[in-house]
Amino acid sequence: MRRSGLRSWHAAALAAVGIAVGVALIGGISTSSAASQAKTVRVAIMTDCKGAFGFGYEPDIGGAEAALARYAHGKAKNKKKPSAGMTGITAGGANIKIVGYGCGNDTVPLAVTETKRLMEQAKADVMIGPLSGDEAVSVANYAKSHPKKTFIIGTAGSQDPTLQIAPKNVFRYHGDGAQWNAGTGEIAYRKLHWRKAAIIMDDYSFGWTSAAGLIADYCAMGGKITKRVFPPLNTTDYAPYIRQLPPPNSVDGYFWVVGGTGTGASLKAYEQAYGKTNPKKFVGNLFFAFLGNFSEVAPRLVGAYVGGFGTSPGLKTKAARAYEGNVAKIFPGLNGGNYADGFVYNYYNAAWALVQGLNKSHGALGANLQSSLPRTLRPGYQVSGHGVLHLDKNRQAIQDQWPLQIVRKGGKPALTVVGFVPNVTQSFGGLFKKSSPPPGRTQPPCRKLKTPWQGKIRVVKNGVVTKGVIK
Amino acid sequence: MRWNVLRSSPKTTIERAIGAIALVLAALGPLVFNQYWAHQILIETFLFGIAAASLIFLSAYGGMVSLAQTALFGIAGVILGNLATRGGPGGTSKGLHLGWDPTVALVVAIAMTTAIGLMFGAIAARSIGIYFLMITLTYSVITTYFLGQVTLVSGFSGIGGINRYTPSWIGDLTGHPNRLYYVSLVAAVFTYVLIRYVVRTPFGITLQGVRDEPVRMSSLGYNVPLHRTLAFGFAAFLASLSGVLYVWWSGQIAPGNVDLPETISLLVIAVIGGLARIEGAWLGAFAFIIIQNYVRGFTFPFLGFGGTLFGGSFNTVIGIIFLLIVLISPDGLMGIWDRALAARSRVGRAGPSAEAPARTGG
Repeated sequence: MRRSGLRSWHAAALAAVGIAVGVALIGGISTSSAASQAKTVRVAIMTDCKGAFGFGYEPDIGGAEAALARYAHGKAKNKKKPSAGMTGITAGGANIKIVGYGCGNDTVPLAVTETKRLMEQAKADVMIGPLSGDEAVSVANYAKSHPKKTFIIGTAGSQDPTLQIAPKNVFRYHGDGAQWNAGTGEIAYRKLHWRKAAIIMDDYSFGWTSAAGLIADYCAMGGKITKRVFPPLNTTDYAPYIRQLPPPNSVDGYFWVVGGTGTGASLKAYEQAYGKTNPKKFVGNLFFAFLGNFSEVAPRLVGAYVGGFGTSPGLKTKAARAYEGNVAKIFPGLNGGNYADGFVYNYYNAAWALVQGLNKSHGALGANLQSSLPRTLRPGYQVSGHGVLHLDKNRQAIQDQWPLQIVRKGGKPALTVVGFVPNVTQSFGGLFKKSSPPPGRTQPPCRKLKTPWQGKIRVVKNGVVTKGVIK
Repeated sequence: MRWNVLRSSPKTTIERAIGAIALVLAALGPLVFNQYWAHQILIETFLFGIAAASLIFLSAYGGMVSLAQTALFGIAGVILGNLATRGGPGGTSKGLHLGWDPTVALVVAIAMTTAIGLMFGAIAARSIGIYFLMITLTYSVITTYFLGQVTLVSGFSGIGGINRYTPSWIGDLTGHPNRLYYVSLVAAVFTYVLIRYVVRTPFGITLQGVRDEPVRMSSLGYNVPLHRTLAFGFAAFLASLSGVLYVWWSGQIAPGNVDLPETISLLVIAVIGGLARIEGAWLGAFAFIIIQNYVRGFTFPFLGFGGTLFGGSFNTVIGIIFLLIVLISPDGLMGIWDRALAARSRVGRAGPSAEAPARTGG
């Protein structure tokens, strides 16, 4: 009996040693943790590789890496696949190492998991990303608890990260979803003579924020929203939601804020309920023009107006050409050659700002980097202020916006910029405040007010901003 | 009979020794392991282990394989998020953000989840096998859609920043993650001890009788549906502990935390660990989380199906492991351990004890 007991203890001891060795081999023992290398800045690029915006993976990474190549000596390993990585990146006397690419799916849980993996397992000092609205809300909440890490939002359009949450270590060098739609509601009021409209919006942070821009802009002119409908994200059958919309003979038009695979599906459901779509009765947000939906939407809606993405496709300025040339040189054909897509452009500017910040901080991180990150930038599609974009006190961009229209060019549907709305702030002329409720199903309410750009939206023709004003 | 339970077999001695070593190692965790391991891998192991233990308890001692545990886990997190968080500048912008005292919110979240679990259990208690599985799957789906659709309490975006509202007796968890580590460890040990205690009480013994011979137990005068309902309520209580720890750890809760893939993930954790023994919950959680963290970066030839673009090889690898476990050792890693020890000692001891259930499944 005693011998048996002894054997048991030997076995137990052996097992314990085995566990310890196993754990050590995997790398968990604290003594094996790598000491941080001097003057190496660890950067993570967070985007989506799955879900509704999974196609943005390479364009996002490509945008960021194009800036790192142009301004920080980076060399792409594969010109056709940005996610293959980049070598030789240096800025401010520090080597920049891309320690990982985040693979989200547009949901909060995976965004949290991926952010933790990149910032804590891969030990990134700086994150460029994420891609979408809810993800940015979760990243902003995470950032609040990790003040030494720095976060530059990739291309997410929710309002909360830089207004309601607004941690000091989160920066955004592009507009939010509401800013992107500045001017579009006014165009519906002036050009399409809408006075009563309904809106259908994806039921999540970006859908609400994007819709908030359209509602605020349109209602500011005196228009009325008679119905708001909210299909959940990833809905496949839109028929019940279309039936909730007032019929076309009872409203002047519809604002359409349905993204991903839902854009085409919701328009088809509308056609089944009410017949052919009339472009004069539809105004969409960027989902009509970007993110893979254009080929499905455009043939149905030639003539319809569309909210922008903070970019101006076809803009004939030196800065726009320089930006497009930079991307084309590093990753020719990225995103099908559409460099005016916010997926590419916003990540590019985020990485460019990081390089400038590191140059100023001489590679220092944390609070030093955060105070050194630029409060102004000269992005390709910024025209006002002599091409200088400013950040507000919440480190959120005040950005020019560019309403669009689907037109027919050479017999094919194409996209053209029709308006120029200078220096749009996140507050939307004082409507959105830190203390005000964030955009939601019923926020903002439909109210007449004076936006700074009201009556001042300049006409854009053939990529040139004219002196004419949209009437 | 009682002496048999108390007398230690060599296997029990080994297991107790390993358990003690694991406990000592875990207690020294933040000193022994690096930050990522202590604050990510092990905390996740502890908290998902608790959720898996609630599933294994129902399966091993009640004969009920429940797919509702992830939903209950999420319900606890959402209730806590709604009650404890505050709105306004700098606060959270989603949910009710009632700003209750975090301790009161914690107690209410656990109590409400347990009550919902009792209600779920009362409805499902009269069904068995595949029908029980389907009803609990329905709970999971209803919860996901409820949270997604009802933006007043959650919405697709869920609620964030919950980890900033913790009881004063726990303190700041974001600035001092070691506190969360020890809270999770204590909760895991508490869960294990509680289950071991409950299965030895008259209720636990009766539950095992209900598992093995429901008709005979019913004819003996036992209320079978009531016992099943109470067991479900107890498991909901355990799942709520896990949910609360999760929102303290992650800071957020959203419908995506309780959707079908997450529901399946918890079942996979329980199956990998072993549906017959409670210890398997933490073993399965540890294995799952290690694979999740270290395999996702690699793309094995023929297994990646597009590499990183589709989440690397993780889903394929975890699927293959799941298949192997089901085929080779239906009792999971704990079953392999049991058989390895049995083969080594060449001692054929048959017959289940009160603490080692005879069979699983409904």
